[in-house]
Amino acid sequence: MTMRYPRTAVILCACSGIISEKIDWTRVETLLADHPSRPLFRQDQLACGSDELDGLCRWLQEVKAERVVVAACSPREHQATFRGLLSRAGINPWFLQLVNVREQGAWVTEDAAAATLKATRLIRGALERVNRHRPLAARSIPVHTRVAVVGAGPAGMQAALTLARAGREVVLIEKEPMIGGLPVRYDELFPNLECGPCLLEPVMGELLHGPESEQVTLLTLSEVTAVKGSFGNWILSVRQKPRFVDVEACIGCMICQEVCPERRQNGWNRAGELAAIGVPFAGALPNLPHLDTASCRKFRGEPCEICSAECPVEGALDFEAQERELELEVGAIVLATGAEERPTLPAGFAGRDLMSAYSFERLIATNGATGGDLVKADGSAPVSLVLVQCAGSLDAGHTPYCSGVCCREALKLAHLAAAKVEGLTVTRLIKEQSVPGLEAGRQLHNDHAAVVRYGRFDALSLEEGPAGRVLKTGEGTEVPADMVVFLNPVLPGAGTAQVAELLELPRDGAGFLGQLHTLAESCAAPLRGVYLAGSCRGPGDVREAFATGTAAAGLALSALVPGRDLVIEPEVATVRPEACAGCRTCLKLCPYRAIEWDDAARMARVNDLLCRGCGTCVAGCPSAAIDGLGFTRDMLRAEIKGVLS
Amino acid sequence: MSECAVQRDSCCREPAELKIVAFLCNWCSYAGADKAGGSALPVPPELSVVRVMCSGRVEPTLVLETLRQGADGVMVLACHPGDCHYKEGNFRALCRAELLERLVVQLGVDPVRFCFDYVSAAEGEKFSRITCEFAARLRQLPPIG
Repeated sequence: MTMRYPRTAVILCACSGIISEKIDWTRVETLLADHPSRPLFRQDQLACGSDELDGLCRWLQEVKAERVVVAACSPREHQATFRGLLSRAGINPWFLQLVNVREQGAWVTEDAAAATLKATRLIRGALERVNRHRPLAARSIPVHTRVAVVGAGPAGMQAALTLARAGREVVLIEKEPMIGGLPVRYDELFPNLECGPCLLEPVMGELLHGPESEQVTLLTLSEVTAVKGSFGNWILSVRQKPRFVDVEACIGCMICQEVCPERRQNGWNRAGELAAIGVPFAGALPNLPHLDTASCRKFRGEPCEICSAECPVEGALDFEAQERELELEVGAIVLATGAEERPTLPAGFAGRDLMSAYSFERLIATNGATGGDLVKADGSAPVSLVLVQCAGSLDAGHTPYCSGVCCREALKLAHLAAAKVEGLTVTRLIKEQSVPGLEAGRQLHNDHAAVVRYGRFDALSLEEGPAGRVLKTGEGTEVPADMVVFLNPVLPGAGTAQVAELLELPRDGAGFLGQLHTLAESCAAPLRGVYLAGSCRGPGDVREAFATGTAAAGLALSALVPGRDLVIEPEVATVRPEACAGCRTCLKLCPYRAIEWDDAARMARVNDLLCRGCGTCVAGCPSAAIDGLGFTRDMLRAEIKGVLS
Repeated sequence: MSECAVQRDSCCREPAELKIVAFLCNWCSYAGADKAGGSALPVPPELSVVRVMCSGRVEPTLVLETLRQGADGVMVLACHPGDCHYKEGNFRALCRAELLERLVVQLGVDPVRFCFDYVSAAEGEKFSRITCEFAARLRQLPPIG
């Protein structure tokens, strides 16, 4: 079969003698002279040099080159340089084939004649391949620069503020009636015993009332229910439950809470009661009550409107408020859905004054159920406290991993408890200890608790002894246990599981959100345009929440720049409609969910926004209906034929 | 350099007669091959590298066609497990390689002619070693086809 070869220019780079001391370019020209493409050769001293590039550009124009082969260094070094050269010469940049005769030729071949033959063979492959190249072009599409942040804990707030400071519009979506996440409910934070609200209230204040607040739309009591689209153009469906309080009119006086005759369990404190309308704890922001329809007498059909009668602002209470469904158009999504503690007791444990670390935090918090007094259920102060660390961690039957934060938490709790009750005996039960960092080292140094090592969580037992209740380890050690606090593993939050399902994001073995790369890209999801902040990525502390919130915002800022369209690289997979059998094998193969099923056309379609051009689907398609642009079957076969001929 | 030279001396075929095609993934193995160059380690001159973005791009038929076209041996080199730039392309490649190893036997091809291995961006030495060893093994075999 005869074919017309396009006019092919071949640039042979000496690399200032580094290549030409092994490869005889004149000999290569002779050996390739009879190639059917009748290549036009030009030897160059240093093709990547700026002066030489000018000369090469003129030469390519003079010889009216249609394809260009450059035999020089690794494409990892100068592919972009030579694509730029083609562009300048008015040739489609994808009509280039770079042959690596330096790193993979001259430098690895001792014998000059062998190196020359190898270069000849590789260039022959390139001549065959480049002939099959098709013009490609990067495509660009406009993007939304608005960003949705899901979760208003420290990580989400920091991400939202960072974005807002850069002038971005942000929608901050929080499922709770208030923001601040878990640490705002803690009186003190490890390792420095810094006050949680003191750290977070200024951040919340800035979000709600600072200059950046203009840029931030806060949606409390809201959850994402559906996600469509892709990077740059997401559409989020959000369901917002009614607060029954007009957020614009309410002045936050909390008279409604004072006059409400009804009580409900305070789930946020895991202890005590709360009015049917009000805030779960003093200082909760935004400073707005919310009404719980399950406990409100009016919503139960009783004739009670005491709150609205006593409210000093007319119309601030709105019993008619309805659930809202919103649709948000955003360019990127920052997930900051957090982690949670799932209280777990050892098998067979029951009795009084057994609680999780969170419950204990709320017990000793000055805005908690007891006003900060450390007391047992009967109201008296405990005489002994056991902090059970690794409570269900490092345990094949429960949670296999170490959360890495609980030791510092336990050291803090031991310190706070001892300061609250004079003479309190504190014991820390540990399996292992992880206390990294200088400041945490000080915590450990200043710890006065007795430390007892134990083996199996489920082997722990409680016994009433003559001197009061004791906790017994499986190894037989007994410690006084008037009150017992369990530091359970940090697990992915319910919100994290929910967004993972909505966005079909991969999760790690523990259920946390999978990352684009666990070391280098830990704040990016494998799905383009989705960034991760805080403990949805895995157990973390407040410092990490702030750091990753900033990082996720930075990634969103650098990915979506106002006025800069999204450039879609053209080396992506593409499906030939006539060849697609509709087996859907590729849908499962794609690591980026870039292939969709078009039910109307009964075929697979590649979304070039999401495709990263790996070619796994190309290799996996049983009908050979998918091809990878830039690396088509045709090109690879031609290259192979060339190097083997 | 001596390792290759020694192996070549002991082989039964001239270097120029041998043809090897190695499919290298862009991110790890290709970078590893460049690293071999940077360290001036020997690579058999008979080896022709075909760069692909991911080892998961190499379908078994491409390997078989390469053998049919006259290659004495074909290598598919991937990122180490867990290091794939595209998350799991190297696992796909591994599965396909295991299939291929069994398939070539059915086709009457000595399975020695196909090699799947992992080379990281740092493993210039490994790239040099396994390519030299592969070439040495192939030289013990009669020409293909």
